[in-house]
Amino acid sequence: MNATMTAMARHVPLLLASVVALFLVAPLAIIVPMSFSKAVSFEFPPPGYWTGYYAQYFASHSWLEATANSFIIAFGSMVFTLIAALPAAFGFVRYRFRGKSVLNLLMMLPLIVPAVVSALGYYSFLSPMRLVGTHAGMIIAHSVLSIPVAFLVIAAALKGFDRNLERAAMSAGAGPLRTFLWVTLPVLRPGILVGALFAFLHSFNEAVVAIFIAGRDASTLPKKMFESIRLESDPVIAVVSSLLTGAVLLGVLVSLFFRQGNAQRSANAA
Amino acid sequence: MAPARGTCYMIRQMSKAAPMPAVRGLTSRDGLTAWLLVAPAAVCIVFLFVVPIGYVLLLSVTDPTVSLDHYRRLLTVPLYTNVMLNTFKTSFIVTLACLVLGYPLAYVMARRNDAVAIILLIVVGLSFWTGFVVRTYAWLVILGNKGPVAATYALAGWGKPPQLLFTSFSSTLGMTHVLLPYMVLALYGVMRKIDPSYLRAAESLGARPFGAFRLVFLPLSLPGVVNGCVLVFTMCLGFYITPILLGTPKDMMISQLISQQIEDLLAWGFASAIAVVLLASTLVLLGIYNRFAGLDRLWG
Repeated sequence: MNATMTAMARHVPLLLASVVALFLVAPLAIIVPMSFSKAVSFEFPPPGYWTGYYAQYFASHSWLEATANSFIIAFGSMVFTLIAALPAAFGFVRYRFRGKSVLNLLMMLPLIVPAVVSALGYYSFLSPMRLVGTHAGMIIAHSVLSIPVAFLVIAAALKGFDRNLERAAMSAGAGPLRTFLWVTLPVLRPGILVGALFAFLHSFNEAVVAIFIAGRDASTLPKKMFESIRLESDPVIAVVSSLLTGAVLLGVLVSLFFRQGNAQRSANAA
Repeated sequence: MAPARGTCYMIRQMSKAAPMPAVRGLTSRDGLTAWLLVAPAAVCIVFLFVVPIGYVLLLSVTDPTVSLDHYRRLLTVPLYTNVMLNTFKTSFIVTLACLVLGYPLAYVMARRNDAVAIILLIVVGLSFWTGFVVRTYAWLVILGNKGPVAATYALAGWGKPPQLLFTSFSSTLGMTHVLLPYMVLALYGVMRKIDPSYLRAAESLGARPFGAFRLVFLPLSLPGVVNGCVLVFTMCLGFYITPILLGTPKDMMISQLISQQIEDLLAWGFASAIAVVLLASTLVLLGIYNRFAGLDRLWG
């Protein structure tokens, strides 16, 4: 009796974890059948299945435009974020300087300030410059908001970097630039790529600032979805949600596959 | 020139073969170089972030006239103080719910090294990277009057389900679901670093599995608990999407009040004052955390 109870107790954590995991994933799983539903409004289980709303998505000018805007803005802010965050990570990890701790807090500020507050600020800041409702305004806002995200990821990669590799390259006759381009950057590439990906996704998923400043012309997917949900129950939302969830699942699986591959390789090498 | 290229390639390969611990104490003291490297990001954040936040502060005391009236109203009118209290209460409930749900999940993820751990990691990663709007939309469907909950009620013959959508219940549930991955990842980050040999040592010295957990694992995981709670609580205070789509105007949160002031009343000055109070509450909480733990550990 006691032994069976101990054996059962051992499975309690796994049981609880499975229930919680189900709670996390079930709502996402429900969206997919919804997207094939014939229902005009939110209805589950669906009264019938078809792919009509997918056709509607691919024929809708406004949904496709929002999709394109999302990609343009996310890509643009990813580039600017990297330009600012990459050197900053080097400065913070490799140097000691006066005012470092204050500057570190400054770097984290966009992550600390609640999104509504930033959104209000950007609206009042960008409207005198006529940048509300433009791609440029959105890219400016999202670039700054993503700086701490990319900075944290790249700084973490840089902290784990073995500087003996650079010394070895230099002692073998490579100059500082060559060392940087051929040793430092390639070794850090995974960290930089992850930082870039995080910056991209941060912009792609960002809704609150977009709701305030994207206007009609630079409307992104999260903004358009938010407004469609509030104003009308457009069934195309389920299609967009399914496509986004599918893309994220693919991304998570691919990144896991790469990580597993890397772990395998380093295990083999050791 | 050519030899250097070959050597660089070899060094790159070495980096894969033998991951060496990073050599400590190598930071240089070249202040100017450091400032030049940090400058682009710092200048961007000051001019394109701090200045816009300054606009909010300015607007809160100048729109429509120069006065502190907005703050006085906010702190004395019961309607508004109730919104503040309700926001803190809801954030507290959501944080607690996330901790209770997230702890076992993070525990299993950190302790196991098999397919189960990978599947759980995929589940958490999937919900972490799926946007807030998408996940909030899912709850609209689930709790809606044609959703699975209503269908279950009809199937079981219980008649109409209680009003679930657009209540403080649906808003709390939605926020818990949306913020749970943050809690799990904060816990997991700390738990993964706990050496399993500590637990084995405790068990070999006679502790029962639960005793080893309570006396060894739980105390070591507390930094993760603090990180996760601070992260979820501060995110919840200013949460915009989910309370607005799932909540009710009867039990407003701060973000709903801001949205109402702007959309219905075009009261930008008052909305800015609310935003400033929200910002101040967040900064005070994170300031306390920073004193004890150091802010850059929060997103570890």
